[in-house]
Amino acid sequence: MKSKKCVAMLLAGGQGSRLGVLTSKIAKPAVPYGGKYRIIDFPLSNCTNSGIDTVGILTQYKPLELNDYVASGKPWDLNRTDGGVHILPPYHSQQGGNWYKGTANAIYQNLEFLERYNPEYVLILSGDHIYKMDYSDMLAQHIEDGADCTIAVLDVSLEEASRFGIMNARDDGTIYEFEEKPKQPKSTLASMGIYIFTWEKLRYYLTEDEKNPDSSNDFGKNIIPMMLGDNQLLKVYRFNDYWKDVGTVDSLWEANLDLLNPNINLNLADKNWKIYSKNTGMPPQYISGEAVVENSLITDGCEIYGKVDYSVLFKNVTVEEGASVEYSLVMPGAVIKKGAKVKYAIIAENSIIEEGAVIGMEPKATGDENWGITVIGDNLTVGKNATVGANKMITENVEEGVNI
Amino acid sequence: MRTSAVAGLIFANSDDKLKKLTANRSMASVPFGARYRIVDFALSNLVNTGVTSVGIITKENYRSLMDHVGNGISWDLDRKNGGVYFIPPYYKRGVKRLIGTVASIVGATDYIERCGADYIVLYDSHIIANIDLSSALKAHKTKGADITVIYHNGKLPEKSSEKMILSLDGDNRVKGIAFSEESQETCFGIGVSIINKDLLLKLATEADEDGLTSFAREVLAQKTEELKIFGFEHSEYVAVMDNTATYFEASMALLDKKVRSQLFNKKRPIFTKVRDGMPTRYGVKASVKNCLVGDDCIIEGTVINSILSRGVKVAKGAVVENCILMQETKIGENATVCNVIADKNASVDDSVVLKGTSERYCFIDKNQIL
Repeated sequence: MKSKKCVAMLLAGGQGSRLGVLTSKIAKPAVPYGGKYRIIDFPLSNCTNSGIDTVGILTQYKPLELNDYVASGKPWDLNRTDGGVHILPPYHSQQGGNWYKGTANAIYQNLEFLERYNPEYVLILSGDHIYKMDYSDMLAQHIEDGADCTIAVLDVSLEEASRFGIMNARDDGTIYEFEEKPKQPKSTLASMGIYIFTWEKLRYYLTEDEKNPDSSNDFGKNIIPMMLGDNQLLKVYRFNDYWKDVGTVDSLWEANLDLLNPNINLNLADKNWKIYSKNTGMPPQYISGEAVVENSLITDGCEIYGKVDYSVLFKNVTVEEGASVEYSLVMPGAVIKKGAKVKYAIIAENSIIEEGAVIGMEPKATGDENWGITVIGDNLTVGKNATVGANKMITENVEEGVNI
Repeated sequence: MRTSAVAGLIFANSDDKLKKLTANRSMASVPFGARYRIVDFALSNLVNTGVTSVGIITKENYRSLMDHVGNGISWDLDRKNGGVYFIPPYYKRGVKRLIGTVASIVGATDYIERCGADYIVLYDSHIIANIDLSSALKAHKTKGADITVIYHNGKLPEKSSEKMILSLDGDNRVKGIAFSEESQETCFGIGVSIINKDLLLKLATEADEDGLTSFAREVLAQKTEELKIFGFEHSEYVAVMDNTATYFEASMALLDKKVRSQLFNKKRPIFTKVRDGMPTRYGVKASVKNCLVGDDCIIEGTVINSILSRGVKVAKGAVVENCILMQETKIGENATVCNVIADKNASVDDSVVLKGTSERYCFIDKNQIL
């Protein structure tokens, strides 16, 4: 087999527990985003657009939906004879087997996979972020620097810096220190969880790390500090475009509504950098004579008879007469029945909001710190005239007329 | 490997009746319904019946059809066994040019013999319908039919082209076949039929040797006693693209909820070439009423009673009414277009006013800038 220059390993096993009911049945990378995408479409499309044709996807938590979605990799042109997409779950060997203990251990357990392709470089990605990035540019920098590891960083504000893993680097981009969520950050270069390693170095440090029984086998906590301790050359790769971690309900909601904000630099219509997704054969959307649709993103298969404002409607959503959807995300197949009101909410896949129900609340209505986005889990029914207030996470059907 | 027992043979060589829309493309690849090409309905109906091998007979202007269908990947027809076969006209040196359906079938002999199917679905490419072909095939087998003709019981539109009119008995056996273009309530064939493979080859070869040209008129219509021809009713929506008027009418019929629910049956989805555009964006001042809209559009103006294909852009202050705007049409700021059919990639500059009437539509050519 011809060896590959760069192979990508996508860490897609995370539970994404802060998304609550939205990841109760699916892994975080499979969470719907932007009307027709799932989060994993972004790293996969970035790979294809960057000329990387071999991607290992490491799954662990609730992989069924993700496996089904990725399948042969056809939508991303990753159904290659040589290379292509590979789903890599934890497995047993004669010596036994283990779950993936940490990000580094997940890659360690798949060293055999990497050895098959014997790449010069390995790109480590996660399935948690919305961004468009040319990995080939990052790889070119890594090669030019002769670095052992290059870490993509985003310049964040000083206030935000204590929420991230921070890379302290010299002016030439050489990293001298890594601090996980520092209380008093020395720098504002936040790690984006995107690493390029020179393959030989990666193999060596993963193997070394595995020998230490006390290690959490994590790239940020263990591998990077160990490499810094050994005076390896670690460089930052500065990224200045849109990048958003969609790890919480609020950030998922925000990242979707960012698509409606003309001041935000995330253009999914760019024909030179398409974000690919699975085609499901939906008909075009229909907007009725009575409908009012403004400032929204609407996808194939939707039928709109009511009002939609400042919202993202995913495929196959129905909004009936007199219903309204504002400042909300309505995920695939959901139905908002006659006269129902949805505000500042996320309605997950295939849920039904019955006639006259009211979901979510505007922030000013309560004016308190307890306000938040309301989430209705997937495949649920909210009964007629039921009311679900702000900042609720609904995991079971709501009976008719109930006030939550 | 055993392939599907049924194969499809699409006749994408019908006369091109849609004037400017078919000036540079075949009828089969005319854009329709905000995201489709007409042939998508034939391909999807066949695929939804389990067909894995489809032959497409072409005549002329078939470049855009080949571009659209490609290797069949969008219909899951990129197969090792089966898949899509284009059957362009085959001219032998010194032999006169072949015309008619009989010659088309004879020309496809190699495909029919090799596709490995026992039944062939003959499918005219200018039909818009979502047909339950699985049930039709079941009926075909149960009745031990030689040929099953899919028909619709309804009124033929005014100015339609000649249709195959069926006389049926109580068991749906076809007792007689006539041809008429009169507007009348009747059972008429919609250009789709199921036939046993060996019989198809035998009938076509014999007809060809006898110098016949039309398979329906000169073969089937003459053999209603000799052959067991049955009808199978398609009672839901059907449109036969005979002329620009029926094209416009069928397009606008999609604004009717019932028509949409029949054409876009969730159990039998209609697939088309994947474009990977983003969902459609509606601007702050957008006003959209009674419209069918494909993805990847940006709408900032007013759009009423119209069909917008993928990638259409309607700028601020623009008004679009009773229009069919095909892929990538651009309507500039404060422009007004009314009763207009805009072909692919047309563009109307800022403040331009263009109005047709409901009897006579304005047509903007492909890539034309106004």
